[in-house]
Amino acid sequence: MTPQLSWYLALSAVLFTIGVVGVMIKRNVISMFMCIELMLNAVNLTFVAFSSFFRDLSGQLFVFIVMTVAAAEAAVGLGIIIAIFRNRESLDVDDASTLKL
Amino acid sequence: MQALLFILFAGLAIGCAISMVAQRNPLYSAISLIGVFIALACLYVTLAAPFIAAVQVIVYAGAIMVLVVFVIMLLNVEEPERQPMRLRSLVPIAVMLAAVLFAEAVFIIYFVQASPATPTRNVSDVGLTRSIGEGLFTTYLLPFEITSILLLMAIVGAMTLARTSGLLSSRAAVVPGDQVFAKEMLDRQKYVDLLTPVTAHSTEEAKRLLGVEDQDQSPKP
Repeated sequence: MTPQLSWYLALSAVLFTIGVVGVMIKRNVISMFMCIELMLNAVNLTFVAFSSFFRDLSGQLFVFIVMTVAAAEAAVGLGIIIAIFRNRESLDVDDASTLKL
Repeated sequence: MQALLFILFAGLAIGCAISMVAQRNPLYSAISLIGVFIALACLYVTLAAPFIAAVQVIVYAGAIMVLVVFVIMLLNVEEPERQPMRLRSLVPIAVMLAAVLFAEAVFIIYFVQASPATPTRNVSDVGLTRSIGEGLFTTYLLPFEITSILLLMAIVGAMTLARTSGLLSSRAAVVPGDQVFAKEMLDRQKYVDLLTPVTAHSTEEAKRLLGVEDQDQSPKP
């Protein structure tokens, strides 16, 4: 019995849902950030599964670009987190409820 | 065998993901997330995508998570006390909506069976580094170049966010009192004799010597 495409899609959906739940229930900015990374990875799994089952290269190239975006997001996002912490001495998202830094 | 591997790594991924959400300490969350990344890399290998698996381990589990862990340890926030849950009256409604969503998912899984048959996999060169490189530099050259611009923007953005003002970084803030500055930063026409150190006795004098303007005039909260 070999794994079907639907198995991978189900796993991806489960991981994405866990990421969404994490973003909603977490208060720490860094934890929310990591949950967003988890969602990106769930989508990457979908891409790779489709690419492998349909034998099309485009999905894996897209994963490559998504990883680049995630790296850029990590750099800028963590910079923003440090800037917020410098100004507010807190990582709680409820403390950073205004756009003003 | 393939199914066993899938179940093993899928279980590992889901377990680590739930552990990540359940942990209260961000550092433990980060370590659980690294577990998810490793499990996903193993799944990529079973999907015949070794290049993506390697990049997953190197970029995600290596670079990005090291950055996250570094920031967690740099900020080092102590555990906040548990705050009371706001909007407690909405809990029954949330439970009801979750039940509806779950019922919808069950309905879809059990009654929507008429999906087209998925093609079977066999050996191909999709996923090898060579084919990915060829695709990246021929068909998808424009997205690749746009990605490089995106990375450049990320570098500039991170630098702009990280430093607070002007030529000097926040670490090298000009403080009142006697202070010796690097000779390369000074006006060479005005100070020909570079062997003697230059001393400033106040912030304004230091700024004048360095030729910098403090851009951040607003007082800190």
